[in-house]
Amino acid sequence: MKTSHLTISHLSAKTKEGKEILHDISLSFSSSKVYAIMGPNGSGKSTLAHVLLGNPEYTIQGSILFNLTNIEKVVTEERARLGLFLSYQSPVAIPGVSVVHLLRTAYQKTHQLMKIEQFMSILKQHAKTLHIESILLNRSIHDGFSGGEKKKIELLQALVLKPKLAIFDEIDTGLDVDALKVVAQGINMLKEFGTGVIMITHYKRLLSYIPVDVVYVLSKGKLVKTGNHQLASIIERKGYAGL
Amino acid sequence: MKTTFLPSPYAFGFHTKDAYTYKSKKGLHKEIVADISFQKGEPDWMREFRLKSFDVFSKKRMPGWGPNLSELTFNDFYYYLKPIVSQAQSWSKLPKSIKETYDKIGIPEMEKKYLSGVSAQYESEVVYKSVQKTLTKKGVIFLDMDSAVREYPELVRRYFGTVIPVGDNKFAALNSSVWSGGSFIYVPKGVKVELPLQAYFRINAANMGQFERTLIIADEGSFVHYSEGCTAPIYSTDSLHSAVVEIIVKKGARVRYTTVQNWSTNVYNLVTKRALVEEEGTMEWVDCNLGSKLTMKYPSVYLVGRKARGQVLSIAYAGVGQIQDAGAKAIHIAPETTSEIISKSICRSGGRTSYRGMVKIVHGAKEAKSRVVCDALIIDKYSRSDTYPTMDIQEQTASMEHEATVSKISDEQLLYLTSRGINAREAQSMIVNGFIEPVVKELPLEYSVELNRLIGLRMEGSVG
Repeated sequence: MKTSHLTISHLSAKTKEGKEILHDISLSFSSSKVYAIMGPNGSGKSTLAHVLLGNPEYTIQGSILFNLTNIEKVVTEERARLGLFLSYQSPVAIPGVSVVHLLRTAYQKTHQLMKIEQFMSILKQHAKTLHIESILLNRSIHDGFSGGEKKKIELLQALVLKPKLAIFDEIDTGLDVDALKVVAQGINMLKEFGTGVIMITHYKRLLSYIPVDVVYVLSKGKLVKTGNHQLASIIERKGYAGL
Repeated sequence: MKTTFLPSPYAFGFHTKDAYTYKSKKGLHKEIVADISFQKGEPDWMREFRLKSFDVFSKKRMPGWGPNLSELTFNDFYYYLKPIVSQAQSWSKLPKSIKETYDKIGIPEMEKKYLSGVSAQYESEVVYKSVQKTLTKKGVIFLDMDSAVREYPELVRRYFGTVIPVGDNKFAALNSSVWSGGSFIYVPKGVKVELPLQAYFRINAANMGQFERTLIIADEGSFVHYSEGCTAPIYSTDSLHSAVVEIIVKKGARVRYTTVQNWSTNVYNLVTKRALVEEEGTMEWVDCNLGSKLTMKYPSVYLVGRKARGQVLSIAYAGVGQIQDAGAKAIHIAPETTSEIISKSICRSGGRTSYRGMVKIVHGAKEAKSRVVCDALIIDKYSRSDTYPTMDIQEQTASMEHEATVSKISDEQLLYLTSRGINAREAQSMIVNGFIEPVVKELPLEYSVELNRLIGLRMEGSVG
C-alpha cells in the first residue's frame, strides 16, 4: 500500500455554542508510522478525532490535507471512502442493524464488490483473531454489548475495512489484561496491512504492546509536546504536570 | 436545515387500460346491491344477507372516534366492476393488459419460487388462480370467495359473518352488502400447509371501491399462513378500500395472516380483521401499512378457549399527507389466554401515525396475560405520533404489561454510519429498517426484501 499523509495546519475547532475546543493545532500523520495522542481529560483529543472525520457538530478553521487534497469541506462519508477510520470511544447502538449488515454495507461503500461467501470468511477469520464469538456478529451493533465487546467490534471493523489511517479513541479503556493483549495483537496486524495507526490513550499500558513512533501531547486544546516512545514513559512516571 | 415535502416517486404508479364487461353505476343504492348479487348468480341467502347488510349500513353512523372521515362520500364510488375474464387457470390465458400489470408487480417469478397457490385479484374478481395439486389432495380448499359461495355453500354459510357481525361497524356493514372477491380457505383437521398461500390485490380504476371478503377456517390442529400484498396505481380522485377478514382458529390450530399494504396515497383503507381463537389455538397477525391516504385497521384476536394465544405485530409508515391509524385488539374471554401486541410506527414529512389499541380481560379469564409494546419513530418536527391504549382488566389474577417509546434518529447514529462510508440518506433508511426489524424478520423472505426496499424508496424524498 502507498504511504498516506494527513497534515493539519493551524486547526481550530468550535462547538455550535461557540466554545473553542481546539486551538491552532499543526501536526502530521503518515501511514507508515504509529502515533499516540495523549493528554489530560478535556484536552481535546476526542474532538480532534471527530474533526478529522468531519463531525458537523464542530465548525473549524485551518486546513486538513489528506494525500495532497484539502478535505476540510469534504463530508464524513467521503472521508471514510478516502480511507479515514474512527474507532469510537463509546460507540452508539443501532438497534436492528447487525454487525454483519453494517460491515458489509460499509465494505461495499469503501471497496470494490466482494462475494458474500468471501466477505464472510474474511470477517469470521478476523473475528476469531479478536476472540469475538460469531453469534455477536448477527446481533444489533453495540446494542447491549459489554465494554470489551464494543472495543473489539470497533477494531474488527478496522481490520475488515483496512483504512489508510485509523484513529482509535481510548480503545484500551476498560479492558482487562487478556483483552488488551488481543486488541494490541489486532492493531499490530492492522499496521502490517499498511494502515497508519493513531491511538488516543491515557496510559502507557497499551503502548507497551504496540511500538509507537511518535507521541503528541495535547493540553487545553493545544499541542504542547511532541516526542518519541520515551515521552510516554515520562508521562507515566511524572504525569502531565511534570512535562 | 430545510425539509421539503416532495413525495417520493410512487414505484407502482402505473395503470393499464381498463377492460370491463360490466360496471355498476356510481354510488350505492339497494338496487345496486341486488344487482351485484344477480350479476354473480348468488343463492337467495347471500342476496338476503347483502340487502340486510345494506339496511344496517344505511342506519349505522360513522365512527365517533378516530381520524376525520368527513371528506369520504360514499356516492362518489363505483361498487362493482367485472373484468372481461372471470376466471383463468393459467398465465397464458390472461388478457395482455392484465398480464402487463402483474408483470410489473412480478407475480410469475414469485410464484415459481415461493408460492404454493396464487390468487391474484384484479379489481373485483379473482381472474388468475392456480392451486397446487398437493393442496387439493390434502383436502385444503383455497378459492376466491365468489366461487366458494357457489361450490361450498353450506360451509361458507355456516361461518360467513359469524366472527364479524354485519352490525359491528359501518364499514363492515358496507363490505357485507357489496363485497366482491377475496379468499376462502378451509384447512382440514391436522393438515399443515407448509408454504404461505398468497394473494395480490390491486385497484386499477379511479373511484373504484374494493371490498374483498376473506374467510379462513383452520380446523383442529391445522396450520396455514396466508399473506396478501397490495400495490395500487396513482389516481387523482380518492379510492375506497374496505375489506372484511374473518378467521376461525379451532382447537390447537395455528393461523398466521401477513399483510403488506402499499396502496397509493389517495386510497381510504378501512378494514375490519378479526380472529376467533379456540382452546390452545394460535392466531398471528403481521400487518404492515405503508401506503394509503388514511388507514384505519385494528386486527383483533378474540381468545375464547383456554390457553388460546394471539399475537399482533404491526408496522405503520406515514409520509406526506398520510394518516396511519392502526393498532390491535385482544379480548381475553377464557383462562390462561395470552396476547402480545407489538407496534412499530414511523412518521415523516408531516405524516401522522397513531397506535389505537384495546386489551380486555373479562372476569373469570384467570391468569390471562397480555403484553403491549408500541414504539414510535418520528423523523422530523413536521410529523406526529399518538398513542391511544385502552385497558379493561376485570380479572384479579390477570397480568398486563404496557411499554411505549417515542424516539428520533440521533445525530450520533447518523455520524456513526456516515463515518463508515454510508451516505446520510442511506444511513437514515438503515436506521429506520433497523427500527422495524423485529417485525420484518417475521415476514416471508420476499416480503421482507420488498418492505426494506419500499422503506428505502420512501426515505429518499427529502433530507434537506
